[in-house]
Amino acid sequence: MGSNKRHKTEKTRETKKKRHRSRSRSHSIEREKVDKHRHHKKHKRRERKDHDSDVEIVSAPPPPKISRIPHALTPPPPPEISRQRSASPTKGGAAQTSLSVEETNKLRAKLGLKPLETSTTSVDDPNKIKDDLGEFYHKPAPNTSDKVKTQKIKDRLNTQKEKRQIESNLSKLKTLGESDSDDDAKAWVQKNRLLQLEKKKADERAKMLDQLDEEFGIGTLVEEEVQSERRSAYSNKDLRGLKVEHDMDTFEEGKTLVLTLKDQAVLDEHEDVLVNVNMLDEERYSRSNLNKTKKPGYDAYDEDNFDEFGFPVKTVLDKYDEEIDGQKKESFAIGYDNAKERKQRQTEIVKHRLANKKLETLRMPELQLASEYYTDAELAKFKKPKKKIRKIRQKKMLKADDLVPDTTDYLRDLGSRRNSRHKEKKDHEDPENLVMDVDDTENTSEDLSGVKIEDDDRELEWQLALKKAQRVKLARQTGVEKVAQTIKQEIDNSNDNQVGNIVLNATAEFCRTLGDIPTYGLAGNREENVQELMDFEAEGIKDETVDDGEDADGRGAWNTVKIDEAAAEPITLEAAILDAEPSLGQGVGGALRLAMSKGYLQKEDTNRPSASRFAHLQAQNYSIEDKTYGDDDKFGRRDRFNGPTSEFKERDGFKPNVKLEYIDDDGHVLSAKEAFRYLSHKFHGKGPGKNKVEKRMKKSEQEVLMKRMSSTDTPLGTLNLLQAKQKETQSPYIVLSGSKQLQTTSISKTKH
Amino acid sequence: MLEITCNDRLGKKVRVKCNPDDTIGDLKKLIAAQTGTHWEKIVLKKWYTIFKDHIKLQDYEIHDGMNLELYYQ
Repeated sequence: MGSNKRHKTEKTRETKKKRHRSRSRSHSIEREKVDKHRHHKKHKRRERKDHDSDVEIVSAPPPPKISRIPHALTPPPPPEISRQRSASPTKGGAAQTSLSVEETNKLRAKLGLKPLETSTTSVDDPNKIKDDLGEFYHKPAPNTSDKVKTQKIKDRLNTQKEKRQIESNLSKLKTLGESDSDDDAKAWVQKNRLLQLEKKKADERAKMLDQLDEEFGIGTLVEEEVQSERRSAYSNKDLRGLKVEHDMDTFEEGKTLVLTLKDQAVLDEHEDVLVNVNMLDEERYSRSNLNKTKKPGYDAYDEDNFDEFGFPVKTVLDKYDEEIDGQKKESFAIGYDNAKERKQRQTEIVKHRLANKKLETLRMPELQLASEYYTDAELAKFKKPKKKIRKIRQKKMLKADDLVPDTTDYLRDLGSRRNSRHKEKKDHEDPENLVMDVDDTENTSEDLSGVKIEDDDRELEWQLALKKAQRVKLARQTGVEKVAQTIKQEIDNSNDNQVGNIVLNATAEFCRTLGDIPTYGLAGNREENVQELMDFEAEGIKDETVDDGEDADGRGAWNTVKIDEAAAEPITLEAAILDAEPSLGQGVGGALRLAMSKGYLQKEDTNRPSASRFAHLQAQNYSIEDKTYGDDDKFGRRDRFNGPTSEFKERDGFKPNVKLEYIDDDGHVLSAKEAFRYLSHKFHGKGPGKNKVEKRMKKSEQEVLMKRMSSTDTPLGTLNLLQAKQKETQSPYIVLSGSKQLQTTSISKTKH
Repeated sequence: MLEITCNDRLGKKVRVKCNPDDTIGDLKKLIAAQTGTHWEKIVLKKWYTIFKDHIKLQDYEIHDGMNLELYYQ
């Protein structure tokens, strides 16, 4: 070691003398203060390393540790270290050193470590995954395409195999062609002959045997034996009477079933019962199924409640039957049951049940092509519909029975036109009847006092019908008898009509309204009328009171038309126009009245509150109409402003000339624009600014000045001055400049 | 077998082959053999974790091709 160090120092000394000198100088000191100047020393070491790192390494380890780990101190032999330039020398600028595997193994051996596991990990199964928890094998995902491929190959192989099998099978068979070529007619004949021979031989043998039997008497013995066997054999008659515990319907014809004896207790004295195990199982299964599906309680619409014919099957509370009686089992005895009888019985039961029922087919009548024409059969059936006899309403007030004792036959006769024609003929034949016809109800109405009968067309019809009936009746009667009859009827008729019922008709209504018009009804103008007439009330005109009295009667009352009164009306009105002067002699009241009539005093209109009178009550700043407009929504919102629907005839030609003028607080008439501004300010409660107001004031002032300004002169009155000057100088011009020359010339001009 | 690169960023860069079940101490000895520094003077670091001598490489999850920082104490 020491030699090594020395060797290095020598080297350095050779290369850099200066440095060595400085180092050697401080060397002793350094040794003493190794710990203190560590970093300094390091620095030096690095410097040295730049020159030769191998040498430096040796010098670095402290002495005590060297002794402890000797192999670490041994520097790796220079040839063994393969220097590798790193791929990027710029990175750190360090040379990358690495040992080969063998070298490291040697080194590891020296260090007492196990050799490198070179191949184990690399050669390892690629599916093996090493984890913290251990090693795992990852099963590769099955390759579906591989699978498909193998499957295809398998299939192909299988088909090939099958083909081969089939071919081998077929190869044993003879084809048609082969057999033809193989079989001759000869061979076939020979074969047949052989068969025939064999048959013959067999027959002969049988005959021989029979003969032998007969000879020894065996035949009879055999027969006896067979018979006895038959007798002793278990046959149908032994089964007769045995009970089978199944429903008869479950057995089907032509099917074999094995029935066994049912398990029973030995000591039971019951007779034997046959059952089929499978059927028992089935029954149990169906029962359990039924129990599962059955709803608790009663269901009226359950299908099980009714059999196929719609009759109720179950009895009341049948669900408890089983609990009380135990399970019921269908059974029958072999041999005692006749299937035919049973069926008959069943059909009888069904018939009995259906005895009261009516059968209805669901088949519809066959469809037919509709034709436009009647067939002959239909035509034969076809009849003209009877003409409808008009039913006449019977009214109580005119009882037909009173008028005609037997009205019913006229009703019948009215029906056909032919009859009426007959009747007409008859009428023509004897004109007497015509004369005797008394047919106008109008005449009768004249007889009645005031009240009119006959309401409407229907009533008329009724009357006509009556008349016709009478005529018909009369046609049958003869002579004086008829006359007497008719007269009597007429009288009756009139009496009947007079009974006192009021009949309304159009004319009556018309007349009534005629009577109404001149009178003052409740229709609306009454109040005004009263006011107009107030002035001459004092004079006590009777007509008015009469009118009022009529008013009091009310609208619905009946008024007789009074032509006289209607004529009198204008006269009273004339009196109102020509007002009599109230007399002064009847106190202050008279005087006041006079004053009022003369117009000295203004009469206050108490009845008509004008808008101007109550102006002070109106809202000052709000002029828009109230939108809610009361609560009565009788009229739609739309109709509110439409006004009266009746025409205002008196003012037909009236065309108002409306001119809207807005005036501001100072009394100036405003233009549309200004008016808008004014209203807007009012509406928003916010006036214009001070400047705006001043500006406007100025403008208005100027306007006033403009108006005042004379149109013929300037504001300074220069024209007036000019004229005065001209008057003074007596010249049509005036000299503006003050220069003498000009003046002289002008003078000279004047002189000229 | 893994190969680990150790770099003090002062000029030494060493690639060391080792087993995953080697301890850090073993690794240090190998590095020391290659670089010539005493193995006890070596400190191996990755970011701020100083690897301890008695712990195996696989426990530190040191894998093939990893870079370790090489310091000296």
